[in-house]
Amino acid sequence: MTHVLVVEDDLQFRQMLAQMLKLEGHTVVVAGDGEEALQLVTRHKPRLIITDILLPRKDGIDMIMELAQSGIDTPVIAISGGRRAISADFNLESALLMGVKSILKKPFNRVDLRQAVSVALAGR
Amino acid sequence: MCSIPENAPPSHRRASCVQVERQTAAHDGEGDACRSCLNKLDAHYTDLLNQRLGQSQALEVLGALSAGVAHDFNTLLGTIVGHAEMGLDELPEHSPCRQNLQQILAASLRARELIARILLFSAPHQCRRITVDTVPVIQETLSLLNSLLGPGLRLNFSSDLEYAPVSAETGHIQQIVMNLCINAADATDHKGTVEIRLDLTTLGDTPEERKPGVCLSVSDKGSGIHPDLQERIFDPFFTTKDLGMGSGLGLSVVYDTVTQIGGHIELSSTPGDGSTFRIYLPLAVEKENSLKTSTAVDRNLIDFAGEGQ
Repeated sequence: MTHVLVVEDDLQFRQMLAQMLKLEGHTVVVAGDGEEALQLVTRHKPRLIITDILLPRKDGIDMIMELAQSGIDTPVIAISGGRRAISADFNLESALLMGVKSILKKPFNRVDLRQAVSVALAGR
Repeated sequence: MCSIPENAPPSHRRASCVQVERQTAAHDGEGDACRSCLNKLDAHYTDLLNQRLGQSQALEVLGALSAGVAHDFNTLLGTIVGHAEMGLDELPEHSPCRQNLQQILAASLRARELIARILLFSAPHQCRRITVDTVPVIQETLSLLNSLLGPGLRLNFSSDLEYAPVSAETGHIQQIVMNLCINAADATDHKGTVEIRLDLTTLGDTPEERKPGVCLSVSDKGSGIHPDLQERIFDPFFTTKDLGMGSGLGLSVVYDTVTQIGGHIELSSTPGDGSTFRIYLPLAVEKENSLKTSTAVDRNLIDFAGEGQ
């Protein structure tokens, strides 16, 4: 069982992902944007973060960079909406270079989620 | 007079005409006829360029739109797929609702594929090209398609080339071959033979622009395409197929992919007598020793070098 922080601005998708993770036996805390997520990281100390990249207020990229700058090495799974490039100067390969352990492409199923979690937590 | 075979490719027609114009410039009468021919060709080229510009602009708009909506659309699909799957996991094995959920999942996966195809338009600058040998990629793609397109259709590949490198992604070549063959299969009702050929050719209209290339042609003896429709055949979402049988994206994906990798596409079609799509791609220039793996290509490259001088 792992304590997971889910960062996703779409309420329905967030609820679905939280439910899926709970069925997999994990405990879940949720945030709607990067700003809220950073506060929850300090408070809840999750062992895994699953985050969308395109988020309001503070996006996933800034959040991941701030976590790294703060010395927090919680493994991160990035969720992609399907585009290979997230912005002109940031693509999925860049995310992996930034320390993102795994990438999930929407829509994904339970098997995909299980594999991504397993890769992200390998060696921990 | 300027005599150019009707079936000569435009680049050859133009080159021949320029040559004749030069030869006859000193002779009154014939030069006028040729100049008139050149003017017609220039008008033809202007129309062609305008058409291509229109297609590029349409694809650009589609790209911007698709990039904007794809993320939201995939998020919605993610919610649908996730809940359908969790529902399936909870239902008893013989529940009649299982089939409904399975249909939801199947439809969602089709929607995901459609978005993935639309997304091909959204980021043309992001492709990372490598040198791809087109010969095995075409062979492997056709082998996969053979099992998918039904036993009544034969995909016949022929080429003298053992090695034909182009600068592209493997997926680009697969996309081109798959879409053209699926199109040919639909045009022939999945019966008969589709001829696929790969040949060396020369690209460029003038001696200065000349460079070696490959021509991939896909020919069918199907229903053909009416001249009025040929102008629109590469437009996104344009389809002549029955509702639900085609997205209208196959040929526009081919057009976009070919343009991205520096090639161009030509169509010759006669209604009732079939169609031939020709894809012209520049040959990747590689180190000399890597090309020596194929004597056939070596020989042709030497010929090309000779022609350009």
